[in-house]
Amino acid sequence: MKPDVSLAVAELANRLRTDLLAELTGFRANVAAMGAAMLDMVADEWDGAVARLVRENRAFRALLDQGAALYATPAPGGDDENLRVSALTAENDRLRGAITDLMARLEDDASAPAQALLDAIWAELARTVNERRITSANF
Amino acid sequence: MRDLTETALETYLAAKMPDWRDIRVTGLHRLPMGASRETFRFDLAYASDAEGEQSLKVILRRDPPASNVDSDRRHEYEAYRAIYGHGIPVPRMILLEEDASHFDGAISLAEDLRGYHNSEYQFQDPAWADRLPHIAQQMWTTMGKLAAVPVEDLDLSFTRPATRENTAQQELDYWVASLDAHDIGPEPIIRAAIRKLRRWYPVATKLALVHGDFRAGNFLYDDAGDLKAVLDWEMAHCGDPLEDLAWSITRTFCFGKNDLRSGLATREQAIRLWEEGSGMKADPEALAWWELFICVKTQAIWNAGTHVWATGQGREIIHAYAAWWLRNAQDKAALELMGKL
Repeated sequence: MKPDVSLAVAELANRLRTDLLAELTGFRANVAAMGAAMLDMVADEWDGAVARLVRENRAFRALLDQGAALYATPAPGGDDENLRVSALTAENDRLRGAITDLMARLEDDASAPAQALLDAIWAELARTVNERRITSANF
Repeated sequence: MRDLTETALETYLAAKMPDWRDIRVTGLHRLPMGASRETFRFDLAYASDAEGEQSLKVILRRDPPASNVDSDRRHEYEAYRAIYGHGIPVPRMILLEEDASHFDGAISLAEDLRGYHNSEYQFQDPAWADRLPHIAQQMWTTMGKLAAVPVEDLDLSFTRPATRENTAQQELDYWVASLDAHDIGPEPIIRAAIRKLRRWYPVATKLALVHGDFRAGNFLYDDAGDLKAVLDWEMAHCGDPLEDLAWSITRTFCFGKNDLRSGLATREQAIRLWEEGSGMKADPEALAWWELFICVKTQAIWNAGTHVWATGQGREIIHAYAAWWLRNAQDKAALELMGKL
């Protein structure tokens, strides 16, 4: 889509705030303000969402592969052939579920390989949180 | 849900209050307050033999069919009534109607304290900068005073019973059940936080009426920054007063996007003010537990709002907005508290 979607959505949010919000009061003004803020978030996410999800999914699969090797369990499998955000998000959820289970197992395993893998998972989760941070976030 | 109208309210009140005559409802409009309940304001006039001519400013809250917080009108109504007259300023309750057939949801009416502010965003306005220390003092010492109110003096029959020993686990169980009931996908960070919390539970120094949502945005203050009333008690319960302190200092409520908690004071300043107001010490280990617990509770609330959308039970913009805005920040806050950021 041209003009650039992030640019257009951000400008729409700006117009909502500067032109329309002043004409509204109370509950309606609040809904318009939230709408503008949500458009800002869409502008934040639009261009990078697919790249972020694919990177996350690859990183989670690599970590799960290590877990599979450590405990002689099946590898997570899966792929990112379908690049629709909904499909990538569904795969991301599947992998996050497997990561959740692996973390619980690693927490009860004091061996050095297990703790090293747990540290690597924490580092990846911290990276994903920082990459998902929106501009308007309080933290 | 059907629209609330002045005529519908007049008709309802005439039937509900047979002693009232000449009932007039004017100026009804919805306010941008309360993410979990609809909030309206109106003027009410009536006459009765016992009271003569009456003119009231009224707040109406209505339960929606589905919300991000599993509460109801009676719960909040009784919470207000429980604390009213015990040194914590709150509006007076007027009427509770639990029969949802009248307005497509239970409603409550309360005294409307007008002419004050309640915006957490106003604290970011440079014109208010010099009043922030005073507002912080008002907020956290009031919270401390709430902690100090003896629960034996309050009628807390509206909420789940608790003991000093079981309140931490009971609250965690409650909000984990909410997370499970409103599952919107795996939460590796919050699930790790839950496992960590389950390894040790703090014992409360004393039981208190916990407000459950005591933060900037949920109290009224005047131009001088004096706190005039504490609002939004729908999550009130008997528990450990450190829960309120932990809630108020969580990172997602740093509305200035800096280190000021609730946009008002540093974590250390907030704790000191709370201790001044309560006369208690905030045990660091216990407070740390409650701060991580707050990440679970808040994420459960943001997820419940998302679940309402996902299941088609509601379409309140604020539920989608809050989830988009806060869920990742809540994960980040949990990581920080677990030393993993």
